Amino acid sequence: MPPGGKKAAFARAPARTLSWPLLCDGISMLRLVIAMVLCALPAAAFAHSGEGVAGGFSGGLQHPLFGPDHVAAMIAVGLWGAFLGPPALYLLPLVFPLVMACGGVLAILGVPLPGIEAGIALSAAVLGLMVALAARPPLWVAALLVGLFAIFHGYAHGAELPQGADVAAFFAGFVIATGLLHLCGIGFGLLATRPAGRALVRAAGGAIALAGIVFLSRLA
Amino acid sequence: MRRAIRAAGLALPGLLPATPGFAHSVVAGYDPFPGGLLHPLLVPAHLLALVAFGLMLGTQGARASLRLLAVFALSLAAAILMVAAALSPSEPAFVLSICTLGAGAVAAAGRPLPFPATALLTGVGAIALLLDSVPAILSRSETLIALGGTVLSAGGVLAAVAGPSLLARRPWQKIAVRIAGSWCAASALLVLAVTLAR
Repeated sequence: MPPGGKKAAFARAPARTLSWPLLCDGISMLRLVIAMVLCALPAAAFAHSGEGVAGGFSGGLQHPLFGPDHVAAMIAVGLWGAFLGPPALYLLPLVFPLVMACGGVLAILGVPLPGIEAGIALSAAVLGLMVALAARPPLWVAALLVGLFAIFHGYAHGAELPQGADVAAFFAGFVIATGLLHLCGIGFGLLATRPAGRALVRAAGGAIALAGIVFLSRLA
Repeated sequence: MRRAIRAAGLALPGLLPATPGFAHSVVAGYDPFPGGLLHPLLVPAHLLALVAFGLMLGTQGARASLRLLAVFALSLAAAILMVAAALSPSEPAFVLSICTLGAGAVAAAGRPLPFPATALLTGVGAIALLLDSVPAILSRSETLIALGGTVLSAGGVLAAVAGPSLLARRPWQKIAVRIAGSWCAASALLVLAVTLAR
């Protein structure tokens, strides 16, 4: 190590390293390097879009989670299933994805379905109200109601398939996210086995119904 | 400094064509065998199919599921023979999606079906899966090596899913298997619709 350390050595460096022609040469090389790095960047830019397998899966997973109307309705399905008890407890989350997929098929095949957003908002209002009122209709009525609304939710997901995303990954992502929201609703709804929990679950249903009415009023 | 910049300038053009270079392997950056091993895990439609078949096997009882595993293995072997003989039926991905839908629906129903029906579903699905895994660019020997990896991996995934679903005894475990089956069927139905729409 020279006396004075590295800083002093740098200060005593020969002037030729900073001479103008060499600096120009260095800058041109720098420009070349920067240009090449910029050429390589477009591939990295894909990292933030919904492309490929990872983008498709995460896009599908986020799709129901970032739509408050979807979240409210899916949780209401779980809450109602838990409220009704077996077999509705497992039949509703079992049937919902299949009927929802049928709605998605309609969207993908371009079959027109009017009032999608209104149907989704209405699903939150009606299903929330069912929980709030502790309604116990026959199983087939509950399944029919939930199935009807599932078509609207599926249609919305199917219509918004991002370009370039892996199809199977996207659909698996949104079906899993929907199912997990049902499970959240069921988990919370199981509190209804106790009197205090029952009031809490009904209050949650009321809140979802109110949110549904807000969603509906925004559409008007 | 100047030397370093020059070296970087010379090295970068060498790095740029690296991505197109991966086109000659089954999975980017891997040799044929490990690439074939990873293929079913990295292609969502294949993974979905294997999970659906595994769940279906789990709902068919221990004896039937062992026989179905044998059908799966024999079908994969038959598909390798088809590839070796340069037979390439069209649209294996579409057929695979139909079989995934069927297997998911059977798992969602949660009841055993007659063995010939599930064997047909498993056999046709296994052949479609392997034919859909054939790499386009590799030589024949490399293709067969890659498919060997795919066979091992597909069998492993199938057994890994079928085992726990076969051991499901408690009601909530059986319900979980059925719900997972309905998720697979729903996803496969949507994939089929996209294939038809295109």
